[in-house]
Amino acid sequence: MTSTLRSSLVLRWMLAALGVILALAVVQELARPETTDLVSSGTAESTLRRAVPILLAGLGGIWAERAGVVNIGLEGMMVLGTWFGAWGALEFGPWWGLVIGIAGGAAGGLLHAVATVTFGVDHIISGVAVNIIAPALTRFLSREFFVDRPGGGLTQSPRVESVGSLDVPFLAGGDLFGWTTPDIFHWIEDRSWFLASDVAAVLGGVTRSVSWATLLALALVPASVFILWRTAFGLRVRSSGEHPVAANSLGVSVVRMKFTAVVVSGGLAGFGGAFIAIEQTGIYRENQVQGRGFIGLATVIFGNWQPVGAFLGSLLFGFADALQLRDRTAVHALLLLVGVALAAQAVRAVLQKRNRPAFLLAAASVAVLWWYAVTEEVVSELPPVTPHVATLLVLVFAAGRLRPPAAIGLPYRRGQE
Amino acid sequence: MTTSTVHAPTPAVELAGITKRFPGVVANDAVDLRVAEGEIHAVVGENGAGKSTLMKILYGMQAADEGTMTVGGSEVRFSSPSEAIDAGIGMVHQHFMLADQLTVLENVVLGAEPTRRGTIDRAAARRDLEDLGRSYGLDLDPDDHVETLEVGERQRVEIIKVLYRGARVLILDEPTAVLVPQEVEELFRNLRELKARGHTIIFIDHKLEEVLAIADTITVLRQGRTVATVDPSEVTAHQLAELMVGSDLPTPSTEPRADDDHVTLAIRGLSIPAAEGRPALDGIDLEVRRGEIVGVAGVEGNGQGVLVEAILGLREATGGDIALDGESISGWPVRRRREAGLGYVPEDRHRRGLLLDAPLWENAMLGHQTTAPYARGPWIDRRGARDATTDIVADFDVRTPGIDTTARALSGGNQQKLVIGREMAAGPRMLIAAHPTRGIDVGAQAAVWADLRTARADGLAVLLVSADLEELIGLADRLLVMLRGRIVAELDPATTTPMQLGGHMTGASGDGDPS
Ligand SMILES: Nc1ncnc2c1ncn2[C@@H]1O[C@H](COP(=O)(O)OP(=O)(O)OP(=O)(O)O)[C@@H](O)[C@H]1O
Ligand SMILES: [Mg+2]
Repeated sequence: MTSTLRSSLVLRWMLAALGVILALAVVQELARPETTDLVSSGTAESTLRRAVPILLAGLGGIWAERAGVVNIGLEGMMVLGTWFGAWGALEFGPWWGLVIGIAGGAAGGLLHAVATVTFGVDHIISGVAVNIIAPALTRFLSREFFVDRPGGGLTQSPRVESVGSLDVPFLAGGDLFGWTTPDIFHWIEDRSWFLASDVAAVLGGVTRSVSWATLLALALVPASVFILWRTAFGLRVRSSGEHPVAANSLGVSVVRMKFTAVVVSGGLAGFGGAFIAIEQTGIYRENQVQGRGFIGLATVIFGNWQPVGAFLGSLLFGFADALQLRDRTAVHALLLLVGVALAAQAVRAVLQKRNRPAFLLAAASVAVLWWYAVTEEVVSELPPVTPHVATLLVLVFAAGRLRPPAAIGLPYRRGQE
Repeated sequence: MTTSTVHAPTPAVELAGITKRFPGVVANDAVDLRVAEGEIHAVVGENGAGKSTLMKILYGMQAADEGTMTVGGSEVRFSSPSEAIDAGIGMVHQHFMLADQLTVLENVVLGAEPTRRGTIDRAAARRDLEDLGRSYGLDLDPDDHVETLEVGERQRVEIIKVLYRGARVLILDEPTAVLVPQEVEELFRNLRELKARGHTIIFIDHKLEEVLAIADTITVLRQGRTVATVDPSEVTAHQLAELMVGSDLPTPSTEPRADDDHVTLAIRGLSIPAAEGRPALDGIDLEVRRGEIVGVAGVEGNGQGVLVEAILGLREATGGDIALDGESISGWPVRRRREAGLGYVPEDRHRRGLLLDAPLWENAMLGHQTTAPYARGPWIDRRGARDATTDIVADFDVRTPGIDTTARALSGGNQQKLVIGREMAAGPRMLIAAHPTRGIDVGAQAAVWADLRTARADGLAVLLVSADLEELIGLADRLLVMLRGRIVAELDPATTTPMQLGGHMTGASGDGDPS
C-alpha cells in the first residue's frame, strides 16, 4: 500500500469521526436544555472505558473465527480473566493481575482448543461447556482464596488497585518531567465554540486520565491487523479458517494454527475480564462480566471479522452503556438522531431504486421520530439493547457484504479431503 | 542424481508395485508407473480405476500399503504433501484447493511465504509471480481475490502455486474436465512450455483425443492395475477405449425426433440483474418441447449457470416467467418444482449434488425425499430408499462396495453416475442437466448418452448445458448459444461444427454484441 493511499484512509476515518461528533452536537443543540451529556468529556471517557472489555472480547472472537473456530466460550474465558486478574492483582500488584488474568483466559482457550481441534467436539457445545465451567471454577476458587480475607467472600474479592493512568501532555494537561503542561483540549472546550469545543471535549475525554491498560488494549487493534494480515503466521491462521484442506496440502500445520489462535483468543478475553475487575470496578464480583463476551461476538459480526470494525462496534456498545448510566434524557435525544439517520438511508435506498429497503427504512424513521415527539424519556431497557439492534440491522442490510471465514465452525481432520 | 549408466536415463518418477486398499475395495493393486524425465505422461482409465488414488500417494496425501516410489533415482517415502513438495513434486487436484477469499498472491505463497523483517514480502512475491507468469505464459493478477476468478484462471493459480514451490514434476488430475475447448488449448500450450523447460508432467484425462494430442506416453489403468503403457503414435482412440473399458469409443448421436408440439418448458423474458460482477440473465426466451433435447453452449460464466438456478428456483428472477407444461411455476419454491417433475443434475456435484459424508442411500433421496419410494407420508421409507438405491447403483453402474459407503469414498466419476442415476430413476418430465458427463469415463459416458436418448424417446424434455461441444452437437435437437446473459444464436446441430460453435460462444462470429 502506498503512503498516499494510507494517509487518505486516515483522513477518511478522521472525517467520519468528525461527522459523528457533528451529528451528536447538532442533536444536542436541538435537544437543549433537555440534555447536555451527549457530547461531553465525561461521556467520551466513559464510552472508551466501557468499550475496552468488549473490544478485547471482539478481538478474541476474530482471532478464533479467522482460524475457523467459533468461540462462544469467550464469556467464560472473560470470567476466568476477572477472577485471575483480581487474584493476581491482590497477590502481586495490578500489572501482574493483568498478566495472570490473560493467562487464566488463555487456559480457557486451551480447553476449548483441545475439545474442538483435537477431539473434534462441536464448537458450540464446547463453548457452552467453558461458559458453564468457568463460573463454577471461580466460585470454588473464591471459597479457597477470598473468603478469609478482609472484604473478600464467596462471591467477591477484596478491593484491588488499578494500574494507573496517563494525562497526555499539552493536549490534556499531563506532567512532563515534573512540569504540568497546559490543558489545550480543556481550554477549547471551555470556549463553548460550536463543534470545536465539542471535538475538544471528546478528545479531552479520551486523553485525560486514560489507563495504561486501555492504551495497551487499543494497541492490540493494529497489532492484530498486522499479525493476521501482514505476517506469514497470520496468513497461515487465516487460511486454516478459509480452506484448511488446501492449507494442509501446502504443508501448513492447520492443527497448530488453530490451537494457537484459540489460545490467543482466550488470552484476549482474559485480558478483557481482568480489565473489568482491575480497571473498571476495582474488585472481583461474581457475574460482573454480564454478557460482554457475547457482545464481543456481536461486534465480530458487526465489524465483518475485521479488527477495526470490531473496534467501532465496541465503541457503539460502549457509548450506549455510558449514556444509559450517565443521562437517560440523552438517550431520548438520540432517538432524533436515529430517526434522521434512518430517513437519510431511506432516501439513499430510493435513489438506488431498492424499493423494499427504502419502504422499510422510511417506516422505521417515521416510527422513531414519532416516538421522539410523543415521549419525554425512553424506557430504561432501551439503551442497552440499541447496539444489538444495530448489529441486527447490519445483518439485515449488509448480509451480502459480510465475509465470514469460509470454513468457520467446520470440524477438521488431518488428511481429509 | 548421477547414477549415470549407458542404459536408459533415470526416470523422473518410478512407482513399483503400489498397492492401496480401502474398506471393501482395492484402489491400487500392484500398480507400476514409470515416467521419464521431461515427458508428458498421461494416465487414463475408467472411473474408479485408481488414478486419483495413485497420484495422491505420489503426492504424499495418502500412504501406500505396499510398493516403492523412486523420485529422481532415489527411493522416497512421503508422509505428508510438504515432503513431496520438498522432493520437487506438485499437484493440481481434481477439485481445486484454493481459499476463495484470499488473493491469488496469498494462495500461491501460503506455506512458503517469503518474509522480510517478520512480514510477508509482498513485493518479492509479486515479482516472482509475475516472472513465473511471464516465462510460462500464465497470465494472472496477483491481487485478485480467487472468488472473482473463472475456472480457467483458478487452474492457472493452481499451476503457478505448484511452480512457485519449485516443482519439477507436476501432477494434474483431470485438468481439462472443467475447461472449454479454447481454455484446453491454452492449458496445453502451457504444458508444452513447461515441458520445453524440462518439467515432467503427469496428467489424468478422460477425453482420449486430448490425450493423444498432447501425451508422450500413456499408461492405462483398469480396476487398480496397470494394463498397458503405450506410445500415442501407435494407438488410435478406439484402441485406447478398448484398453480402458473393454468396449469401443462411443459417439453421441440421436435419431430425428418424433413430431410433438407440446411445450414442456417455456421461458419468457427471464431476467436477473447483475450482482457482484457476475453476468446475469437478460430477457431469455426459450422453449423445450416434449421429447426434445435443447443444448445450451457458452463459455463458462455467461449465464448458463444462472439460467439453470433460475429454472430450479434457487435464484429469484426479477422479470419474466417460467412455465412447466403450461402452468407458471415462477412463484413456486424449489421443492414444489422438483415434485412437479423437474430433474436436476448440478454442475458442481460436491457443492450442490451430494452430502459427502452421508451414505449413498441417503444421497439417493436428495431432492426426492418427499416422494415414493423414499418416503411414506411424513416418514422416510428406509427399506424403499435402500432398495431404490441398490437399483440405481446396479442400473447406472456405480462402482461401490455398498450403499452404506459414504459419497466421499466414491471416485469422482462414480459420484457423478450416482447423481445422474438418482435424477433419471425418479422419472422426471423435464431434466435440467449441467455437464452430465463431466469427469466420467468413456464407457459410462456412453451409458449416460444412451439413457438420455431412451428417456427422450419416452417424452422427456431435456435442457442440456455442457462444455463438451461434441456432446452438444451429437445429442441436441436444437442448440442455443449464450453470451453475457443473452441467447445470441440458435443453431441446427446437424449443420454445425465444433469450430463454428466455438466462434459463436466467444462472440467472434459477429452476432454477439461487441464490447
Ligand atoms: N477415501 C476413500 N475411502 C474409501 N474408498 C476410496 C477412497 N478414495 C477412493 N476410494 C475408492 O478407491 C477406488 C479408486 O478411486 P479413485 O478416486 O482413485 O478413482 P479414479 O481412477 O480417480 O476415478 P475417476 O476417474 O472417477 O476420478 C474407488 O473404488 C473408490 O471408491
Ligand atoms: Mg479421480
